[in-house]
Amino acid sequence: MTQNILKLQDLHYTYPDGTHALKGLDMEIKRGQVTAILGGNGAGKSTLFHHLNGILKPSSGQVFFEGKPVDYSRKGLIRLRQSVGVVFQDPDNQLFSASVYQDVSFGAVNMKLPEDEVRRRVDVAMERTGISHLKNKPTHCLSFGQKKRVAIAGVLVMEPEVLVLDEPTAGLDPKGICEIMKLLKETQKELGLSIIISTHDIDIVPLYCDQVFVMDEGGIVLEGTPQEVFSEKKALRRVNLRLPRIGHLLEILKEKDGFNFKELPVTISGARKAMKIWRDERKS
Amino acid sequence: MINIDTYAYASQLKTIDPLQKFVFALITLGVCLWADTLVISLAVLFIMGWMTIRSGGTPISLFIKLMFVPMAFLVIGVLTIAINVLGNPQGFIVSLPIAGFWIGVSKVGMYEAGRLFFRVLGSVSCLYFLSLSTPMVDLLAVLRRLRVPKLIVEMMGLVYRFIFTLLETADIMLTAQNSRLGYRDLTTGYRSLGALVATLFIRAYKRSNDLFTSLEARGYDGDINVFEVPFEKSRKIYIVAIVVNTILVFVALTLK
Repeated sequence: MTQNILKLQDLHYTYPDGTHALKGLDMEIKRGQVTAILGGNGAGKSTLFHHLNGILKPSSGQVFFEGKPVDYSRKGLIRLRQSVGVVFQDPDNQLFSASVYQDVSFGAVNMKLPEDEVRRRVDVAMERTGISHLKNKPTHCLSFGQKKRVAIAGVLVMEPEVLVLDEPTAGLDPKGICEIMKLLKETQKELGLSIIISTHDIDIVPLYCDQVFVMDEGGIVLEGTPQEVFSEKKALRRVNLRLPRIGHLLEILKEKDGFNFKELPVTISGARKAMKIWRDERKS
Repeated sequence: MINIDTYAYASQLKTIDPLQKFVFALITLGVCLWADTLVISLAVLFIMGWMTIRSGGTPISLFIKLMFVPMAFLVIGVLTIAINVLGNPQGFIVSLPIAGFWIGVSKVGMYEAGRLFFRVLGSVSCLYFLSLSTPMVDLLAVLRRLRVPKLIVEMMGLVYRFIFTLLETADIMLTAQNSRLGYRDLTTGYRSLGALVATLFIRAYKRSNDLFTSLEARGYDGDINVFEVPFEKSRKIYIVAIVVNTILVFVALTLK
């Protein structure tokens, strides 16, 4: 077992219309972590995601899953897609059935599992995503947040090793964002999944993610832990991103108002700790 | 628009095996049409209404409202039977002399009209029983079990699923056009509507591509294979179907 579950090497992809979306992208995704991919609109995040389970085949370069290059034959793709599950941004593009139960069962039935096993997995996935009470509801009567959960359950039912989510928090209200991220974090811990999310929501990154990649113009411009990445303020701003609000506040306090923090935390709890240290130092 | 499907989801009969409900509704419908007797038609209407309202929990007001849906056609159809034209006023209950003829309603005509009227309502009530207790998804499952070609059932399922999305998209676009005065006069209106339809088509096409991608990601291999929520195993409705229809047939035969 290699430490990297997915590895992308010098990946290039050009769309049929000539758009060069990925330009020599290198990336190593560690097993059992939550990895965030940050990037402005049009940075190539979705194109990258479509490479992770073989929907797109790179124009050049290679994708490795568990250390082995991806096999693009029919059988190879089926195996890959069982291991790498993708949840798409718009659940309306993913939910094809008017019945929640049917939609969730789809992936498991396709794996040709015995009926008992499918039903068990459907129950588990619905339980985990908190949608058991929606079993008998028609899909079109659900709220956006509920549809999102159904979409996640429909992928979890395949029990993948890697869960890829394209903008899982887009379009959700603050409580919905918090619930979805907690749900993902719990699932990741319990099942030992590797989770990859793309997002614009910078504030959630230091709270839920272990590793961050920043993309711009089809390549990786920054990578590291949230703390490492968010200390590269200039580089972040150059690619149309920003610091988490808390980080920004502390930066201003430090640079303009003479608070001499030793480091710049980017979460509320981190900021609280830094403030307390600052206060205690002043007292003594 | 009355959304029958929402009531079907709320029905307490929803958990019963849809095939049983389907068989029950169709057999009773058949008996109602075959018997062609006022008593039987009324009995069917009553039984189906009772089952939908009492066992299913559908509001009685809705059931009555739905019964009025075929009324316009029905009244016109029935009137042509009830009203006759004859050379003399004998046999008419009420009549009007017009240009040497008599137009009126006879006793026989009335009875015939009434019989037809309730025969139609009885039959319609069978179908309402089915559609008010069985959501579309379950009906599709019945079709699948009855070996209707997969392609047709899948298409029906997808159409049903995305008709709501399509209507929603159209509605949003219409509102957006309206708020920019897209329908201020007839010419502008036609142009806006044309743009809306064209965009809707392109959107639908793009969405179908996206759907295909996401199905692929979950191992789609050309067939949409899913499991349904398990239904109650009991054969209660079959027994009800047999008992009710035996009695109906027996009564019909003695009356004939």
